[in-house]
Amino acid sequence: MKPRERSHVDDFTTLGIMVKSKRGTTTASSKKSADTEKTSETLCQGLESSDDDAPEEVTFGDSKNEALRSLKLALDSAKREKELLKEKRRKRQELFQEQKKRKLLPAEVLEEIESASLKKVKESSAAEEDEAEETKSLMKRREKKRAEKHTRNLEGNYTVTTMKGGAAVSFQQKSAEDFLQSRLYGPGRLRTTNNQMLSLQNKRGSQKSAAVQFVKKDWALQQKAKAEKLKKRWIHKLQVPS
Amino acid sequence: MGEFVVHRVRFFDYMPSAIRAMAFNGSTQRLAVARGDGAVEILNFADNYFQEKVIPGRSDRAIEALCWVRGRLFSAGLSGEIIEYDLEKLRPRYSMEAYGGPIWTISCNSQETLLGVGCEDGTVKMFEILEEGIQFQRNLDRQKGRIISLSWHPSGAQIAAGMIDMIRIFDAETGHATHRLLVERGVGTTRNTEVVVWSVAFLSNDTVISGDSAGKVQIWDAVTGTLIRSHLITKWDVLGLSVSQVCVRVLVGVCRCHCRVSLIVSVLQDESSMIAGTSEGTVVQFQALASTMGQENNQWVRTRTFKNHTHDVRALVHTDTAVVSGGMDTQLVVRPLLDKVEKNTQESALRKILFPHKSLVCCAKKAGLLLFQFPDHLELWRLGESSAKGQAGDRLPVMKNPEKLLQLQNKGEDHICCSAVSPCGSWVAFSTVSSVRLYKLQLGNGNISIKKVSKLPKELHSVHQLCFSSDSSRLFASSAQASVVIASLDQLQCKHLHTLKPKSGSSQPIHLLSASENGNWLAAAHTDGQIHVFNLHKLKLHCTLPVYSSCPTAIAIHPTTGHLLSAHADQQVSAAAPLLSSESQTVVCSCCASVAADLRVLPEAEGVHGVEPQPAEGGAASSVAAEGHAHHTHRLQPQQAGARLPARRVHVLHHRSESGTRRASRRSVLILFSSPTAVLNSINADKINQILTV
Repeated sequence: MKPRERSHVDDFTTLGIMVKSKRGTTTASSKKSADTEKTSETLCQGLESSDDDAPEEVTFGDSKNEALRSLKLALDSAKREKELLKEKRRKRQELFQEQKKRKLLPAEVLEEIESASLKKVKESSAAEEDEAEETKSLMKRREKKRAEKHTRNLEGNYTVTTMKGGAAVSFQQKSAEDFLQSRLYGPGRLRTTNNQMLSLQNKRGSQKSAAVQFVKKDWALQQKAKAEKLKKRWIHKLQVPS
Repeated sequence: MGEFVVHRVRFFDYMPSAIRAMAFNGSTQRLAVARGDGAVEILNFADNYFQEKVIPGRSDRAIEALCWVRGRLFSAGLSGEIIEYDLEKLRPRYSMEAYGGPIWTISCNSQETLLGVGCEDGTVKMFEILEEGIQFQRNLDRQKGRIISLSWHPSGAQIAAGMIDMIRIFDAETGHATHRLLVERGVGTTRNTEVVVWSVAFLSNDTVISGDSAGKVQIWDAVTGTLIRSHLITKWDVLGLSVSQVCVRVLVGVCRCHCRVSLIVSVLQDESSMIAGTSEGTVVQFQALASTMGQENNQWVRTRTFKNHTHDVRALVHTDTAVVSGGMDTQLVVRPLLDKVEKNTQESALRKILFPHKSLVCCAKKAGLLLFQFPDHLELWRLGESSAKGQAGDRLPVMKNPEKLLQLQNKGEDHICCSAVSPCGSWVAFSTVSSVRLYKLQLGNGNISIKKVSKLPKELHSVHQLCFSSDSSRLFASSAQASVVIASLDQLQCKHLHTLKPKSGSSQPIHLLSASENGNWLAAAHTDGQIHVFNLHKLKLHCTLPVYSSCPTAIAIHPTTGHLLSAHADQQVSAAAPLLSSESQTVVCSCCASVAADLRVLPEAEGVHGVEPQPAEGGAASSVAAEGHAHHTHRLQPQQAGARLPARRVHVLHHRSESGTRRASRRSVLILFSSPTAVLNSINADKINQILTV
């Protein structure tokens, strides 16, 4: 029974020590007892003389106050942390806004564009055109900084350009064509060539004759051309000495 | 020595393209045919099936379906756009993106107010048909899976959509799918692959007929959503269906004070005959017959099988008296049904339309050159020569082979609409829907040089027909509003001289142009049958030939007598003399064969050599018709005994030989044969050029 009680008291006092150390206020008696308790803890297994001391008497009010204080401390520290984070966030936000302002057009240009659009609604001719031209010229100046006309620079390392050249067959159209092709000519559709069909007719007919494309004229064309060249060269070689 | 030297040319490798879709307009009797290369042809069924108009295609346009709405033609394709065509300017009027992905089918309701398209993403989109165009109205409920075919109920309240493995029936008002009809897959190994419902037809008695890729034609009850009957007609796909319709004109008289009578054309479903086209090339007909006499229980009974095609049949259409089918073998077959026409008459004969009715070959007479027009390029060839002499009917050996001088590729994606080469061979012109190009050629001894004329007059923009004058100094081009633009050709310049306009504002396009040898006259023929003759010195209209009921297919002006000869679609050749006197005598001689496609006139000859494609027998025929007198025919047989298949088409052209006076009486005539199947084109790579004497 005794060692258990001891351990409870130990925990409590150590907690008290921790809280108090933060605040920086300590009471002499508790400190002393803390010291003795600490030393007793370090020599725990061997010496058990400190364990024989009676537990300290702490009044209810004291303990209540201490508890309240510790709670307050915790709340205050949490609040401070929150405020710190808020500060940090505010600063970052301001930094971003400043960067954004730097990226946008100068305020004068924006005003002019706004006024130009308003005036268009109010129908003025020359002034609006002038302003539009001015804004256009400003925009052009900005655009000249960019490499191509059709590119825009976004944040980071991305550029967007318009596609030039032939229109690409869309994926859907390609898949539809493939579906049609596979349905009519794909595997499982037993189709034959004109050559085969007509040749079989020739062979089965009453007057049997040869296959329609008996000799494949486009068979090994490249080899044949090469052979022709070699033949010419050989003949030339033979003729030269004679 | 014979009178003519005949060249036989077999190096024109013309490849027709497959027929992908067809649509028939009963009120005007016009059939619109969509080909695999994006071209749309309009054939006039009332006028002996003459191919009136051709809208050239594009290399990226793939048409999947066609639809007529009150005389306007719409098409939809895998590019996701709905295109309306201008049939007077022969070009697309506008294209509307449907935003549903590739479009598989297009169909209009019987009231002709709404157009439904079936898209790849599973939506059926409704478009409202307005005066100036179409406007998107709404989507029906989106389905999982592509919509391959559509059919409206004649009342317009329901739509049947064929998809993969099932058919959905939608309510057109609410847009919700009411029934789902599950289609069985094939037996055996085909059980693993999904079955595609290639076509559906909705009948007025609430039955749906479907043809699918397992080879079945199935009849469903749309009210209960159940299968009534299933017919297995082939092992392969059933690619197309068509149900007969009867076009009924109802006259409605309106208020007396206005004295206006409005004509309403209503289309009623006759629904007694249905045809299904298969992947094998057979067309199977079903008819709704009662099982016993007098009783009303009509059932669909399989009656006839037509085997007129060698490849897949993808497009089918019923006309009043016939069944029209077209497919991958590029032939258009018109089979009149013998229960609707009299037997053994001209009307009841099977028609196979194989070749284009437009002339794709142009001849430079003085230079001996031929220009072949392909969809995306032109080829210029020089004819072969022979110096030997012989008796009439001999075959002469070829001394100099024909050679290909030039291949002119067109930049851009539009296909070539028309082309021409000048008689001296120094100018080549061609036009597409968007532009006209003119080139100057220089034919030296061994080399050839070509230069493009860059600045063309802006009046030359949408040209349907091109023609050079006989002295190669003028270019005639037919333009919008039936006017003819005359441009003068100089060293490397082309300047606009004049635009000839006829008096009456006929808006039909000019499809034939012919200039006389002496440079005085120009004849222009329209697709509505009118032939205008212009006086080129005074630069105005001289006369208009009387409108004959049939459309002219070839015209020519006799160089010495000044007669105007025209061949018409109903196989009549008429000679008129409008140029000498104001009264025109028309003398009609009939020829034995079908549509004449080209005419040339030989000077000092007794008459005109007509050109006809060959009727089904064999051998080549040309007929000579003398003006007003008895006509005699010469038959030229192909001398080659080993000819595997008979020649199918003859172009007879005139070639005046360039040699001296000793052989001045000898003329050579060119005959072009084209073989009916593409297989032979690729096999006859030996390019025989034979010169026959007649």
